[in-house]
Amino acid sequence: MIDLSKANKHLWREITDESGDIRNCFNCGTCVSGCPAAEAEPPLLIRRLARMVLLGLEEELLEEGTPWICVTCAACEEMCPMGVHPFEVCLAIRRWQSKKDETYIPTAVTQLFQEGHTQPVGKAQGLRRSVGLEEVPPTIVKFPDLLDKFQTMLRETELVRENDYLFRV
Amino acid sequence: MKKYGLFLGCNMPALRPDVERAIRLTLPGLGVELVDLEGSVCCPAFGTFPSSDEIASLTINAWNLSIAEAKGVDPIVECGSCYSSLRSGQTKLLEDEGKRKRVNKLLEIAGKKFEGTAKAHHMIDVLYNEVGPRKICSAITKTLGGINAVVQYPCHTLFPSEIVGFDNPGRPHMLMELVEALGANVQTFSRELQCCGGAGGFTHGAHVDAVKYAKKRFDAIKQETSAELIVVSCITCLMHLDEMQKELNKQGSGDEYSIPVFDYNQILAICMGFEPKEVASISFIPRNSILERL
Repeated sequence: MIDLSKANKHLWREITDESGDIRNCFNCGTCVSGCPAAEAEPPLLIRRLARMVLLGLEEELLEEGTPWICVTCAACEEMCPMGVHPFEVCLAIRRWQSKKDETYIPTAVTQLFQEGHTQPVGKAQGLRRSVGLEEVPPTIVKFPDLLDKFQTMLRETELVRENDYLFRV
Repeated sequence: MKKYGLFLGCNMPALRPDVERAIRLTLPGLGVELVDLEGSVCCPAFGTFPSSDEIASLTINAWNLSIAEAKGVDPIVECGSCYSSLRSGQTKLLEDEGKRKRVNKLLEIAGKKFEGTAKAHHMIDVLYNEVGPRKICSAITKTLGGINAVVQYPCHTLFPSEIVGFDNPGRPHMLMELVEALGANVQTFSRELQCCGGAGGFTHGAHVDAVKYAKKRFDAIKQETSAELIVVSCITCLMHLDEMQKELNKQGSGDEYSIPVFDYNQILAICMGFEPKEVASISFIPRNSILERL
């Protein structure tokens, strides 16, 4: 039995922005049938997440870790017969969770802010030299002034402003 | 000569620079001039800002695209997720004036501006539609001489086709034809059109299940084909299909899973006569079985 007494009937508006397409979902399961992460335990079941959003099950959704095992292949986005944009819904749920509970904010976000990359691009000199490439590639790692500007810019975004302790350099 | 801005992303320049070398060596020889996109950053990857702040995410997309715009070129991208992130960001910004204004206000802080004129192209798209298999055939000095191969289509170049598509999403054929142009015999298998499983949070968040998922793919390749190599055109597919075989061998006995994996530009570079030491030197599963025959 689902207890709807604590449900937030506006949840779908909060999460899916202005698109509103999620209301077309009738739970057919096409999104799940081709999903690699639906083979995990517990499985990522996009249609179940869409139902939680529509029913307004805020507390349950905030506890739900499965949106984060999505492989991002977007097969669901292609196959959905109702134009729900299930992959976009999955990302929107992650953003909503990150906003409600900062422990959801991925650590790679901090790394991207600090280095401009999610891998140690500036520290691969030996490996790059061994294949005949210039040691530091011409990305932001080669231009420290630009990295400063990148960080100054991102400091004006809501995520960085509201979680500034995560974004110290 | 058509000119593109080479978008490097993160994994390629940091972990698999031999692929970057292969791209930089092969494309000019095929009539594609490459320029650098100085100051580019992570695309951003779907597991970063797209999962935590939409405007920040679109701003980073726009940062990268604005560098290409300023040079008057389109970005060329090998990594599937980078390609999809840049395409999806551009589409959203062009469709939504409000978001575009907010993003440009942020970019102004760094002296940049997004117009929306640069459109990312995937490597397969450029190699097939700009260069073409025929030109590749005539540019190579060595052929794969009937070696049996399978291909892994990067899912981010297929779905959603409305935004990223250039091949037939239900029946892609371009990568297969590009590999055939090198003289290989390309075979198909039942799990060919499924994502490799390497992107996103699957491998980290559900590791045991991700390994099982990968095993099904390799078992299908082994049972249904006589493939001697796997050809991909995405850095994540490359690293994942290589690493997962190593992991499966560690769990089992010996080297049951040992099909070498090549990025297309790597095997192309070797067929064009470049040194394997520079263009295909980094892998867990040894590539000697192929390299010794060329």
